[in-house]
Amino acid sequence: MKLPALTLNQRLAAVAVALGALALFSVPHRGPVVSLDTRELALIVEKEVDHVTPSELAAWIVQGRSDYRLIDLRTASDYAAYHIPTAENVTVAALPEFPFLRNEKIVLYSDGGIHAAQAWMLMQAQGYRAVYTVLGGLEGWKDDVLYPALPAQASAAERARFERAATLSRFFGGEPRAEGGVAAPIPMELPKLAAPMPSGAVSPVAPRKKKKEGC
Amino acid sequence: MAPFYKYGFFGDEMSLVLAFVLGTGFGFFLERAGFGSARKLAAQFYLYDMSVFKVMFTAIVTAMLGVTYLGWLGWLDLSLVYLVPTHLVPQIVGGLVLGVGFVVGGYCPGTSVASLATGRIDGFVYAFGIGAGTLAYAEVFPWIKGFVNSNELGQVTLPEVFDLPWGLVVFAVVLIAVAGFSAATLVERRFGDKA
Repeated sequence: MKLPALTLNQRLAAVAVALGALALFSVPHRGPVVSLDTRELALIVEKEVDHVTPSELAAWIVQGRSDYRLIDLRTASDYAAYHIPTAENVTVAALPEFPFLRNEKIVLYSDGGIHAAQAWMLMQAQGYRAVYTVLGGLEGWKDDVLYPALPAQASAAERARFERAATLSRFFGGEPRAEGGVAAPIPMELPKLAAPMPSGAVSPVAPRKKKKEGC
Repeated sequence: MAPFYKYGFFGDEMSLVLAFVLGTGFGFFLERAGFGSARKLAAQFYLYDMSVFKVMFTAIVTAMLGVTYLGWLGWLDLSLVYLVPTHLVPQIVGGLVLGVGFVVGGYCPGTSVASLATGRIDGFVYAFGIGAGTLAYAEVFPWIKGFVNSNELGQVTLPEVFDLPWGLVVFAVVLIAVAGFSAATLVERRFGDKA
């Protein structure tokens, strides 16, 4: 028996139903296995566009920008002792399961740069593109933001830059170091974080009460 | 990989150019569907011409299937596609306001511009009303801000809300559309004579 001729609309409807039925088996969201464009990644690394300098980050925090998420990759106890204001604590192990949105701007930091860089690669592998690391990690944050140093025989431009850095430093509870990085004679007030003393000695000063986050 | 904008294939200026091209195309097909005429649109509410329902539902099903398959092929990262955050109660109220405006004025915002582009005076008046309404909304916004931002559900999708597999929702929407089309055709036969 011959089927009755279908109108164009009925044929289109049939196609839609067929595609819909096939879509029952679809996995439109990305799975755990991905392929990476290694050349693209190498270029990003070489051009250093995946970095945020500590001073930039400090400026963002002061401005109250909320278009990024700052992630502290260290352990919970390290995080409790001190973290950059506004940071959230997500350890590297917890990172793959953490519910970031793929288009969120994510800024990672650890003590130095290694864990953050490794976590950056993990995030790239998971398809997160807008991931950055804080240049130098928490050490960089200490050197550039909390305890900025004025070089010996500084030029006027360097002095002006230092003045701006000093303002930022005090905002975050740090202490600018004048004249060639030599610590000021008065004991430093620490934001719950040992200052990078030039002698390597650890300051015994009781840490100041933690700054309220969010500023 | 798409979305092209999110992956940085083009910048802000290019996105505006593309928005213009896409918008022009949208307006062209609205006009081709007959939606530049308030009579055609109002017929939807008198149930003797269900074109609006059919065209819009066709667009939804086509886009849904396209997005699903592009995501399945790995060409489109669905988690990057922007969704307007859901505020359930404010959006129901807003939808009702828009619906009343649609019935009274005979256009929705997009079709009024298509109508304006073809030189219809009612389309011009309606588009002017949109501008005035937008200004008025901006002025009263501080007072209704709390309500507008209430009931926040975030960027949610039906598969998330009902906790169903993506494909099942897609298939269900296709079936609902086909059933809706059949019903719409019956409704047109029932009310069509009164036109």
